[in-house]
Amino acid sequence: MSQESPEAAADQAQPPAATEPFILFDLAGATYAVRSAEIQQLEMVESVTPVPNAPAAVDGVVSVRGQVIPVVNLRARFGFERIAIGLRSRLLVVRRDGRTVGFLVDSAREFARIDPGSIHPPPEGISGLNGRYLEGTAHLGGRLVLVLDMTDLFSPDGLEFASPPPAATEPGESTDP
Amino acid sequence: MSFLTRWGGNGAGDAGSVRVDAARLLGVADEATQAASLQDERAAAQLRRVDAAAARAGEVVRSLGESADQAGEVATAAEQLASSANEMAASIEEITATAANLAASVAETGAAVEESSRSIQQVAATAGEMATAAEEVSAGTVQMAASVKSVAGDTDALSTSVAQLAASVEETSRSTEALAGNADDLAAAAEQSLSSINEMAASIEQAQASAAATAAAVEQVSVSVEETARSVQGVAQNAEVIAASVATAASGAKQLEASIRDAAASAAQAADVTGRLSRDAEEGGAAVEKSIQGLSRVRTSMAQSASVVREMGKRSADISGIVDTINLIAERTNLLSLNASIEAARAGDAGRGFAVVAEEIRHLADRSARATAEIGAIIRGLQEVVQDAVEQASEGQRVADESGRLAEDGLAGLKRILAGIEQSSAHVERIARATEEQGQAARSVVEVVSTAAEQSRQVTAATRDQATALQELVAGSVTMRKSGVQVAAALAEQSRAAREIVKAAQATAGLAGQVRRSATEQAAATTQMTQVVESLRRGAASTSTALAEQSQGAERIAAETGRLTRMIASVSQAMGEQSASAEQIAAAAADMRRQSDQTSRGMAEQARAAAEISTATQSVARQIARVTASNREQTAGARQIQEALAALRESVEAGRAAEVGLDLPERIRLLVRAPAGRQGY
Repeated sequence: MSQESPEAAADQAQPPAATEPFILFDLAGATYAVRSAEIQQLEMVESVTPVPNAPAAVDGVVSVRGQVIPVVNLRARFGFERIAIGLRSRLLVVRRDGRTVGFLVDSAREFARIDPGSIHPPPEGISGLNGRYLEGTAHLGGRLVLVLDMTDLFSPDGLEFASPPPAATEPGESTDP
Repeated sequence: MSFLTRWGGNGAGDAGSVRVDAARLLGVADEATQAASLQDERAAAQLRRVDAAAARAGEVVRSLGESADQAGEVATAAEQLASSANEMAASIEEITATAANLAASVAETGAAVEESSRSIQQVAATAGEMATAAEEVSAGTVQMAASVKSVAGDTDALSTSVAQLAASVEETSRSTEALAGNADDLAAAAEQSLSSINEMAASIEQAQASAAATAAAVEQVSVSVEETARSVQGVAQNAEVIAASVATAASGAKQLEASIRDAAASAAQAADVTGRLSRDAEEGGAAVEKSIQGLSRVRTSMAQSASVVREMGKRSADISGIVDTINLIAERTNLLSLNASIEAARAGDAGRGFAVVAEEIRHLADRSARATAEIGAIIRGLQEVVQDAVEQASEGQRVADESGRLAEDGLAGLKRILAGIEQSSAHVERIARATEEQGQAARSVVEVVSTAAEQSRQVTAATRDQATALQELVAGSVTMRKSGVQVAAALAEQSRAAREIVKAAQATAGLAGQVRRSATEQAAATTQMTQVVESLRRGAASTSTALAEQSQGAERIAAETGRLTRMIASVSQAMGEQSASAEQIAAAAADMRRQSDQTSRGMAEQARAAAEISTATQSVARQIARVTASNREQTAGARQIQEALAALRESVEAGRAAEVGLDLPERIRLLVRAPAGRQGY
């Protein structure tokens, strides 16, 4: 409570223009932040239906609100070991360029506002390697948060998922801050 | 359980040691049986030997009687010998007298011969003178012719003297014949003395033979006495062996008694221990039964607690399901609040209030999620505890079951141990009773064996006394034998002396024969001399005739005188020869006298020898008297031997009759076997 009260106070005290809303999720022991605007919704995952000839990081497909979307295992995508799906596992449903993809993460339980000015670029040693996924790092209440850039996750290099999503025509969904 | 086993093991060990002692007892009894049978055999052998010794002693007595008879015979023979020796001495004295006579006559003969010799020498001298005269005659033949008448007268005188000579020679011849007769008498007397000496030698040899017979009898007696002594020594050794085996039996019986006493003590100890053991086992059984009851209660309560814990585990699982549900609800609430926040952010300012609500909802959901997580952790810990409790309860139940089974096994074992202890205490009581009986029996065995040892010692001592008496008897017989040997030696010396006497007598006879022969030769020489004197007389006669013829023819006188001279020379020679013969005769007579002297000395020696014979015979008689006396002593000793042997036999029979022999070990064996049969379980 003592940690949350100042955060809540900061949420209310900070003007919306200065901060951007982020969803925080956990993956392989690290906390990532992704812009709330990029997330369509979060879903609990019960079972993933495997599909043949799927790319290495794709576990299969799930049906979300009547729509079948591919499930990209971010652990596999980032080169970590897969873990079993549990009660806290979440699916970040992202819609971009008419494609909707579910990213499977260990858990996603927090909503936070982060000043973009406080986001530091990634360290030199890893920029060349992970720069396409990582926008930078930020400190949030003493925690180091990796700010994720979803763009490259949708690139053909990062995700060899050739088939265009069938229901990619949901209009006005390209939100921004 | 371990202490019961230990005590049980010790009881078994004591019983085992009792068994071992009993077996040893049995072995000792068998040994005693063997020793007793051996003793019995030896007693029988001893009895047989005593019988044999008694028979031999009887033989000894009989042979002693025989030897006494023989000694009497010997005494008689010795007396005969003494009388014959006396006779012989008398005859020798006669011979001596005769020999003295002979010597005297020989001396006379010698004197006569000397006289004849002298006369012969005179004759020779006369013949020499005659030869001178004849030479003178021859030289003065012419003158002689004138004095032939006177020569004739001289010749007549010569003739007369020759006749005298012839007469003296004839006298000599007669005396020589008398000498020859005396020599014959001497030879006869020597023969007589020889035969009587031979008789004496024969009687001495007889005496020697009887003395040898006596010595042989004494030897026999000695040998049989030595045999008796040896057999008595054998009896003594056997008695000592018996004594030793009886002593061994006594020590064995004492060991037996001591071991039985030990066995009794250990049996009493075992009874004591068994009683304590029985009480301990009963107490242990009660304790085990109590523990079995306690264990069954423990098992029941364990089972109850296990079921309670299982129930609790089931409940906690229920709680865990509820917590999961709450957790799921919390997660969903969180998800919905996040989605609401996303929507509110997308709505911009319009969604600000909604975002706050969503924020609050997310906080509540997080708090409930944290609470449910804590509850879940608690529940999980509780479930682990419950699982542990269930496992421990079932383990405890298993342990309790096992303990119950083990306690029941222990109880059964204790019951068996109690039964075994009762049995073993009964056995121990029986062992104690049997050992007490064995102890009494062993004490009586020890007493009996001690009595047997005492008797055996007495037998040994008596046998040793017998042996000593027999040794003395042996020594006496040795002395007897020695005196017999001395008698035999004395008799042998007598015999040798008699043989020497015989030889001397034979030599005397030979000498007498020589005397006779030389006398005969002398007679022959005298006869020749007589013949020569006769021829001389005839020559003198023819000289007379020739002188008569001389007176008739004067021319032939010279030749005749030469012939006469030659004749006278030959006469002179003959006279020389005659003189030599006479000298020989004289020498012979001297020899004869010497011989006679020797004869006389030999006879004196004979007389001395006869006296010695008489003395020796008397000593023989004395020896024989001693032999007879010792014979009597021997007889008495042999009777003592017989009596001692009879006593020995009685004592041996008494020993057998006292059933010290075969009956004793049989009793030991019965005594030993009875307890041994009782304690075998």
